[in-house]
Amino acid sequence: MSHARARSSAPGAQFLDPEVLARIDNLELLARTVVHGFLNGLHRAPHLGLSMDFAEHRPYVPGDDIRHLDWKLFGRTDRHYLKQYEAETNADVVALLDVSASMSYGSGPVSKIDYARFLTACLLHFSRKQRDRVGLVTFDTEVVEYVPASARNLELALHMLDRANPGRPGELRPALLQCAERLARRGMVFLVSDFYEEPDVIMESLSLLKGRGHDLMIFHLLDPAERELPGEGSTTFQDLETEEITPVVPEQLRAGYKEMIEAHVAALRERCTGNRIDYVLLDTSQPLDHALFRYLTIRERKARGR
Amino acid sequence: MPLWLLVPAFLAGAAAIIVPIVVHLRRRPTSKVVPFPSLMFLEKVPIKAEQKRRIHNWFLLSLRALALILLAVAFARPFFTDASSLAATGSGPTERVVLLDRSWSMVADDRWERGLNAASEAVAGLGPLDRASLVVFDQGAETVVRGAPDAQPIQAALDTLAPSSGATSMGPGLKLAETILQDSELAAGEVVIISDFQANAWNGDEGVAFPEGTTVRTVVLGGDEVDNRAVTQVALNRERVDNRDRISPAARIVRTGGEQEVEVEVSLELDGRLVQTRQVILPAEGATGVAFDPVTVAQRHTLLSVSLLEDGLPQDDTWNVVLSPGRATSVELLSGSSRGTSGPLYVRNALEISEEQTFELRPAGDLSGPQALAQRHVVILNDRAFPGGAAGARLAEWVTGGGGLLIIAGERGGWASAGPDLFPGQLGGVVDRDGSRGERLVGLDYDHPVFEVFRGARQGDFASARFYRARAFSVEESDSVRVLARFDDGSVALAERRVGEGRVLVWSSTLDAFWTDLALKPVFLPFVHELVRYASGRNPSVEAFTTGQVLDVADAEAMESAGLGEVAEALSASEERVALVPGGETVDLEADRPFLSLDRAGFYQIRPPGQDDVRPVAIAVNVDRREADLTPLDAREVVAGVGGSVDGTPIGSGPQGPESERLRQEDLERRQSLWRYLLVGALVLLLLETLLSNRMGSGTRTGGGHARATG
Repeated sequence: MSHARARSSAPGAQFLDPEVLARIDNLELLARTVVHGFLNGLHRAPHLGLSMDFAEHRPYVPGDDIRHLDWKLFGRTDRHYLKQYEAETNADVVALLDVSASMSYGSGPVSKIDYARFLTACLLHFSRKQRDRVGLVTFDTEVVEYVPASARNLELALHMLDRANPGRPGELRPALLQCAERLARRGMVFLVSDFYEEPDVIMESLSLLKGRGHDLMIFHLLDPAERELPGEGSTTFQDLETEEITPVVPEQLRAGYKEMIEAHVAALRERCTGNRIDYVLLDTSQPLDHALFRYLTIRERKARGR
Repeated sequence: MPLWLLVPAFLAGAAAIIVPIVVHLRRRPTSKVVPFPSLMFLEKVPIKAEQKRRIHNWFLLSLRALALILLAVAFARPFFTDASSLAATGSGPTERVVLLDRSWSMVADDRWERGLNAASEAVAGLGPLDRASLVVFDQGAETVVRGAPDAQPIQAALDTLAPSSGATSMGPGLKLAETILQDSELAAGEVVIISDFQANAWNGDEGVAFPEGTTVRTVVLGGDEVDNRAVTQVALNRERVDNRDRISPAARIVRTGGEQEVEVEVSLELDGRLVQTRQVILPAEGATGVAFDPVTVAQRHTLLSVSLLEDGLPQDDTWNVVLSPGRATSVELLSGSSRGTSGPLYVRNALEISEEQTFELRPAGDLSGPQALAQRHVVILNDRAFPGGAAGARLAEWVTGGGGLLIIAGERGGWASAGPDLFPGQLGGVVDRDGSRGERLVGLDYDHPVFEVFRGARQGDFASARFYRARAFSVEESDSVRVLARFDDGSVALAERRVGEGRVLVWSSTLDAFWTDLALKPVFLPFVHELVRYASGRNPSVEAFTTGQVLDVADAEAMESAGLGEVAEALSASEERVALVPGGETVDLEADRPFLSLDRAGFYQIRPPGQDDVRPVAIAVNVDRREADLTPLDAREVVAGVGGSVDGTPIGSGPQGPESERLRQEDLERRQSLWRYLLVGALVLLLLETLLSNRMGSGTRTGGGHARATG
């Protein structure tokens, strides 16, 4: 994955820039703007190859949205039918957001938690547009906030998302165990975290959800500095979660560190793939379109697969 | 060059050298703390174990270690004990006493300047633990500076000193030095005597012995011959002409040194005005007399000076005296009726024959009257009994009040046994002595003022006088009764009794040519004069004093005994007095401090304040002429006299003992002060280390701790 920031030339693409998004205080507005811009971009960019094919017709019932009337079919049949798209599946889409202390890190104007908020808000808004029931769970070592998946809970979810404030240490397994217990219906679950645990532990934790039949998608969120190891000269690093300190000379450790973190990412990707979990690595310096595009691609694939 | 340590315990501080090594090996926390999401991967980065224990910068470590070692050694106070260092300290910390002669003979040539230089040099090489004192002496001694740790206060004192008008006496200065050395805590002492070492300044029995460990050193400033001329004496011959005193001064001029005769001018001043001069030829090593024309002394306290032109020793070039018109001793002579003997003739003639008109014979009056004996000083009962009745009582009262009674026994002299208690004994009958040979006068009390002037050889021959007849005279000596002379058979010839303020003298024979031939002897005249003068209780006026004396102007008795009776009388009229001293300064003689110290040669004038129109009381002071005798003394004699060694070695075995050795080591260390250089060196090293370590940055690899198993 390229670390260069990909900027879309489509109109409204500026709203995908995290720095721009950071200036928008209202998360709902942000999500609506991003999704609308993104979708407009998709419609005007045929090379994206994303379609919103309808799956079937159903007779018109007074009160239905007349925008979805199939006028061609009316021409042929003199009867009113509504197009029913693939996306109108009424599935549960739940966002699991890591709000442990490490998520507060940011080397630039946008921290990981801010980026995670933007991303989650956009994905929930997008899902709601697809008539999915949306929900939200924030966690560290346990569930912090829980918004059940519902057609009417988008605003509540966005509100909880806005309030999410990392501060405590996190541990994936007990948190995901609680999440799994709360998510009664099968649905789509996307997990946003920086995944600072051993791959074995991560996979074991994810299996708690996968085993319940959820479609799982993980967004591995990292700051550019986390991939490069910042600093020069004798420096003391402090762990945001454990508050341990260690004197470090970054330039002497950088090469080894980068190897380790790339190995970690590769391990996660490989094991997720092997367990049919969608894995997306995100850089907080990059626009959201990549994340959104991947999300849509995955949703489409899953929809075709039904 | 052997190196010792004064406080070796401080070397333990060198153990602090381990500190920089520990600091080197430990992680050095930095001031920059960077929050990071997780140290999970940092802790996994493998590091080599030996990198944690490796010292990366040996040079910096060496600088720090060396600085700590220098600090530890500096606190241990090292010092060298080579021969040159030991020689500089001698026997250790020393109490040094500088004795500086400031007598007036030090004015000769450049003796005083050389003395000041020698005193400066004596304290120039003081060690850090040495102490120095400065004592100046003439006929007395004074500690000017005591126990100074450096030369500065002594040098400041030397700048203020000047020669005095006093003569020289070694004893007081040496005594002070002895006291300073005995009170000192330092084991070694040194006395430096700076003087012209005149022979008359030392008599060998000063009784001074310096303590052990004292070195005595002398700086001899005299020895060179000085051509000195001095006025050594002025005789004043009085005669009374037309009820006025005329005085003929005659001065004696003495010259020491010189090779050829010189002509000198001698001047006479009265009350500061030049009145006469004389030119005299003065031979080398010789003397001459100068006689001036008579001058009239009309007022009391007239100032008279005889002066020479100033020479190398100016202090003895002037002789000062104070003159007043004479006051004769008033004598009333009462004699028995004449029996064809000479009676009072010899006594009367003796009293009338006085070049200075010392005695005034008054006609005998009624002793019983209320004004009887007024203005009388002596009553002589010559061959006459003590009167009885009112006259006797009046006479007894007068004696008790201070009068003098001389009883020349003769045949009729005596007193009733029931009479007043005035007499030294009891007169008996007439005793004829041994035929034609007579008795001689022996057993004279030469300590008594009557016979004191006859003490010297050929000053008065009493032995040739014969006494053929005398009165038996029994005397019991006591505190108030004293036998002054006896005949060779032991009988009493002359006795005295003090009665109140007065005195009674009884002569058991006669003072004529009948019972004795004393009146025919040359000694008769001065004997009668001394007898009557003593009986009067009046001391002769002192025309001049010598520098160094102190007068208590408020003590009338002391002033009287000093020959200043009339001065005391004049001064007693007021309790507030101001003295004008030679040089023009004034001294307040307050009621509680009426002491006048005669430190300078010249005239002291005393008057009550605010009475400038009153002729002041004057006192003449001259320097002690013995000081003009510059005959040198061998300084080694003085050194030996105080127990010192002429070769400069310390008295006794010198300072010993552990305390002395400790002081000596401490003195050595303070002189060298090596700790200063070590301290500077340590500071330079620490500064260099600071600069280098800041420039090098961290320079030390500090990595993660333990390795953790990766996933």
